[in-house]
Amino acid sequence: MSSLSLYTVQAFLILDQQGERIYAKYYQPPHRSDDGNQLLFNSVKKQKEFEKQLHRKTHKQDSEILIFEDHLVLYKEYIDVTIYLVSSLEENEIVLQQGFSAIRGALDLILNSGMDKKNIQENYDMVILVIDETIDNGVILETDSNTIASRVSKPPTNEPQMALDLDKGFLGAWGFAKSKFQERLQQGL
Amino acid sequence: MSAHTYKKFENSTSGDLPDKMTIYQDCMNTFNESPVNSKRCRLLISRLLRLLAQGETFPQNEATALFFSISKLFQHQNDSLRQAVYLAIKELSGISEDVLMATSSIMKDVQNGSDLIKPDAIRSLTYVLDESTAFSAERLLKSAVVSRHPSISSAALCTSYHLLPISEVTIRRFTNETQEAVLDLKQFPNQPTNSEYYPNSTYISQYHALGLLYQLKKNDKMALLKLVRHFSENNSLKNQLAKVELVKIVNDLLYRDPQLFNQFRPLLSDWLSNKFESVQLETAKLITSFATRNSRLVAPELYAAAVSALQSLLTVPRVSSRFAALRILNRISMVSPEKIVVCNPELESLINDSNRNISTYAITTLLKTGTSKNISSLISTITNFIHDVSDDFKIIIIDAVRTLSLNFPQEWKSILNFLIDVLKNSEGGFKFKNSIVEALIDIVSFVPQSKELALENLCDFIEDCEFNEILVRILHLLGKEGPSAPNPSLYVRHIYNRVVLENSIIRSAAVVALSKFALTKNDSTLYESIISLLKRIANDKDDEVRDRATIALEFIDSARNKQDVIAQNLIESKYYYDIPSLESKLNSYISSNIDSFATAFDVNQVRKFTEDEMKAINLKRKQEQIFNQKSETTLDTTPEADSIVPEKRADANSFAGPNLDDHQEDLLATKYADELLSIEQIKPFGQLVNSSRAISLTEPEAEFIVRGIKHIFKDNVVLQFNITNTLTDIALDNVSVVCTPEISDEVELEELFTLQVDRLLPSEEAACYVAFKKSDEIVMEGFLNNLTFTTKEINPDTNEPFEGDEGFQDEYEIDSIFLNAGDYVKSSFTGNFSATFDELPCEEIAVFNIQEDLSIQEVVDKIILNSSCLPVESTQFAPSDSNSHTLKLFGKSALTGSKVALQIKMIKSSKGLALKVHGKGEDRLLCSDLVNGLM
Repeated sequence: MSSLSLYTVQAFLILDQQGERIYAKYYQPPHRSDDGNQLLFNSVKKQKEFEKQLHRKTHKQDSEILIFEDHLVLYKEYIDVTIYLVSSLEENEIVLQQGFSAIRGALDLILNSGMDKKNIQENYDMVILVIDETIDNGVILETDSNTIASRVSKPPTNEPQMALDLDKGFLGAWGFAKSKFQERLQQGL
Repeated sequence: MSAHTYKKFENSTSGDLPDKMTIYQDCMNTFNESPVNSKRCRLLISRLLRLLAQGETFPQNEATALFFSISKLFQHQNDSLRQAVYLAIKELSGISEDVLMATSSIMKDVQNGSDLIKPDAIRSLTYVLDESTAFSAERLLKSAVVSRHPSISSAALCTSYHLLPISEVTIRRFTNETQEAVLDLKQFPNQPTNSEYYPNSTYISQYHALGLLYQLKKNDKMALLKLVRHFSENNSLKNQLAKVELVKIVNDLLYRDPQLFNQFRPLLSDWLSNKFESVQLETAKLITSFATRNSRLVAPELYAAAVSALQSLLTVPRVSSRFAALRILNRISMVSPEKIVVCNPELESLINDSNRNISTYAITTLLKTGTSKNISSLISTITNFIHDVSDDFKIIIIDAVRTLSLNFPQEWKSILNFLIDVLKNSEGGFKFKNSIVEALIDIVSFVPQSKELALENLCDFIEDCEFNEILVRILHLLGKEGPSAPNPSLYVRHIYNRVVLENSIIRSAAVVALSKFALTKNDSTLYESIISLLKRIANDKDDEVRDRATIALEFIDSARNKQDVIAQNLIESKYYYDIPSLESKLNSYISSNIDSFATAFDVNQVRKFTEDEMKAINLKRKQEQIFNQKSETTLDTTPEADSIVPEKRADANSFAGPNLDDHQEDLLATKYADELLSIEQIKPFGQLVNSSRAISLTEPEAEFIVRGIKHIFKDNVVLQFNITNTLTDIALDNVSVVCTPEISDEVELEELFTLQVDRLLPSEEAACYVAFKKSDEIVMEGFLNNLTFTTKEINPDTNEPFEGDEGFQDEYEIDSIFLNAGDYVKSSFTGNFSATFDELPCEEIAVFNIQEDLSIQEVVDKIILNSSCLPVESTQFAPSDSNSHTLKLFGKSALTGSKVALQIKMIKSSKGLALKVHGKGEDRLLCSDLVNGLM
C-alpha cells in the first residue's frame, strides 16, 4: 500500500569520499510514538553503519537511484561528496526526485563555486538552511530551487557595531599616520 | 591550544571543526556578549549544528544552557542570524529542558516577523509546543494557513500536520481554512526581496493542505469521496505532488471498497495521460496492484493503458522515472507476465542501460515474460550481454534462467546450452560458478531428457575447475545420475582422472561416485574395471580415501555376491530420510537420554521418501523459493541489496496458492506424528501414513478457533481438532468434538474413541482427537462437527475456576470436515508426464461444470489443494489471457505407492467453467475416487 502520509523522506545525507558524514539528518514524525521500522535510525552507531554500507554500494557508480536495505535511495555523486535522499519503498520515485533535485538545484545556486566538500564546510550554515527549507521533519516543503534559494539568508556581513569600531579605527589610524608623517617630515627636514 | 590553531578556527573559511568543549565555551561566551556580534554568532551556530550533525550530543544541562543563551539572540533583529537561531532551536529542543520558554519569542516572530522569518518561526512551533500548550497557537496557525504567502501557508499546514497527534481538536477547528487552502493558488508577493533569486510558486501548499485534510477526514469515507470529486474537477490541483496525493487517496478508497472502481474509472484513465510523470506512475501503480487483488473489476483496456503508460516511461531520459516504471513492470511480471510482453522491445534496449539497477530489473523482468515461444531469442540476447557484467549481477541472471528451466522444461536445450556456455567461457568467482552448477543440477534432476548432454559437459568442466566444493558436488551428481545413463563408462573415465590428479577431498568424493557404477545394469563389464580401480585406490596415501575405497569394495562384494540388500542400499540409496525430522529426532534422542543410550536410535521413526517423492518435494520447494524470491523482488531485490527481508505480499500470497505453506507443513507432519504416537490409544494404529494440512473450521474471529487435521493410518483415521479459546475469563472443561457422518446409513467408518481436552484455559490451544476404524482402504466421508464443552468462569487471581461453579454445558457448531481421496495421495514427480500417463492401466473420465464465478487460476489452486498431487510441467500457472488451460497432476497413493496421474482440461465460458478430468492410475479405486471427488 502506498502510504498517504506526508512524511515521505526518511533521511538526508551528505557523505564525503571516504563515506564519512558531512551532514546527516534522519527524520522522524514528531509527536508520534516510535514505530518499529524507524528504530533502525535510532542510534548513531546504526546510522553510521548504514551510511558506510550505503557509501560502499554507491561509490563510483553513477546510478542515481537504487534500493538499499529496504529503502529507496536517490543520490548524486559530486567530485568529493555524495548527497543522498533516503525514503521508504512505497514512495513515488518521481515525487522524491522532485524534492531531491530541488535541493540539488538550490545548493548549486547557493554554492556558486560548485559542490565540493570544502565549499560545503565553508558555507555550512547555508547548506543546512537549504535542506531545512526543503524538508521539514520528512515532509517535502518546497520543490522549486529558486524559491528555496531565495529563502536562504546569507551570513550577516555589515555589522553595525563593527562598522562603528571600524570608523573609529580608521580615524585612529589616520591620526596615527598623520602624526607619524609629521614626525618623519620633521626628522627629514 | 596554540595561537595558530585558535586563529584557524576564527577564520570562517576553514573546513576543520574544533572540539566539542571549545565550541561549547565559544558559544556560551559569544551568545552572552553584549552587543551581539551577529556574524560571529551565526558562524558559531553553524559550527554547533555541524557538531550535532556528526552525531555528537550534549548532556542535558549543557544543552539547556546552550538553548537559553541562544534564545537570548532573539533580541537581535537580524534576519540572517534569526534563521540560524531557529535551526539551532529545532536541533536543541530534542535534548534540552524547558524549551517551552522560547514560545513567546517565537510567537512574536510569527506575528511580526518578516516574510523570511515567519515560516521558520511557525515551523519551530512544532518543537516547543506540547499537548497542554498547543491550543495557544490556534489563532496564529489559522491566520497563517490562510496567508497569501505560499511559504507561510505551507509552514503553517506542515506544523499543523506535525501537531495533529497531540492536538487534533485544535487543528480540526481550521478544517475549513485547510480545505480552502487546497484550492487557493498562492503566488509569491511581487515585491523586491533582498535575495538575488526570484521565487516561483509551485503551489505546493495544495499538497500540504490536501495531506492534512486527508488526515482530518480519513475515517469518513463519504467525506473522502466528496473530496476526491471536488478536487479532481476543473484541473483545480496545479501541484503535481498534490495530484499524486489525490491518486493515493483514491487508492485508499479502493482498498476499503473495491466496488468503487467503476466510479473512478474515467478519472483513472484520464490520469494515465496526465502531463506529470509522477501522476501517470502512481495511477499505473494503483491500477496494476488493484488488478492483482480484484482482477475482475479491471477492464483489460484500462490495464493495457496502464501498461502502455509505463512503457512510455521506460524511454524517458530521467533515470528515476525509468527505474520507477521498471519496478512496477517487474512486479507485474511476477503475477501476470503475459500482460507486459508488449514492453519487451523497450526492456531489451534497457538491458544496456548505464544504470546497473535498471539493466538488472530489465533482464529479470524480461526473463519472467519468457514464454515457450520467445525463450530461445531471450537466451541469445542474454548470451551477448552476460559476459560484460559483474558477478553478482550474473548470479541474478542465472537464477532467473534457472526459474525459466523449471517453468519451461520443454525448452531445456537452449537453456542448457546457455548455461554450459557461461560455465565454460565466463570468468567468475565461486558463487557465480556454483549458481550455474546448481542450475544445471536442477535441470538434470527435473528434466531427464537433458541428462546426457548436461553430464557430458559437466565432465568436461571438472577437468579444469578450481573450486573443490563445486567439483565434489559434480562428482556426487555423476555418481547419482551416471550409472543409469546410456553410456556410463564415459563418466567412469572422467571420475578416475580426478582420482589421479586431484587432492584428497576430491579423491574421496570420486571414490564414492565410482563405487556407484559397480552395480550398474547397463554395462556389466564395468564391474570388473571398477573393482580393479578401487583396489588400486585402496593404496592411496590419504587415509580417508583408502578407507572409502576399502569400504566401497566390501559393500560391492556383499551386494553382488551375497545379494545383501543393506549393502545395495548403501551403494545406491533408494530412499532418503526427511532431514529436518531426522535432526529433531536425533536431538530429542540425545537430550532425553533415557537409559544412557542403551537402546539404539530407531531410524524407522523417521519419515522416508523414495526418489520420486523427494524430487516432488524438492520441485515444490524450488518453486516455492521462486515465489519467495518473487515476493522479495516485489520488494525489489537488486544486486545492490544484500540483506533482504522476505515479506509476503498479499498478491504473491494469493497467487502462490497451495504452494506457500508447504515448508512449514513438512515440519509439522513430523510434529503431528510425534504427538499422535505419544498417545497410548493411538499407538496400536501403527505408522502414520499421511496428514492433511490444517483446515480452519471456524471464522478467524470466532470465540473458539478450531482447525481440523486429518491423519490417515493403515486401518484407521484420526481427526485432530486444534481448539483455541479466545475468551479472556472463561475456561472450557471437558472439550470434545462430536463427529457425525453426513450420510449416516453407510457405516464405513466405525468410531473408536474420542480424546477430550480436560480444561482449556483462556488463550490456550489444545488438541482433541476422534479416532475411527476404516473398513475399506479408501473411505471418503464428510463429518458434521459439534464442539461440546462446559464453560466455567475463571478466578483471575488463581487462574482456576471458582469453587462450586457447576459450569454451563454448551455446544458450538463448527464447519464440516471432509475426508476425500486427496488425503490418501502424496505428490510425486515424473520427468515425462505424457509417457507415464499413457502407461498407466486404469482410466477414469469425469466432467464437471462449475457455475460459481471463479477464475481458472482459482480453480487450479483448489484442485491442487484437493488432490494433493504435484502439478507438473508448470501447469499450475493458468494464463490469465486465455479461457482454457490444461492442468497436469501426478501423485502416489500414500498407502500403497500406486501411481496416479490426472490431466484436467478447463474451459471458461460465460456460463461458467467446464472441467474434463482424465485420470489414469495403477489402482482403479483410487483413480476413480480421486477423479470423481475432485470438486
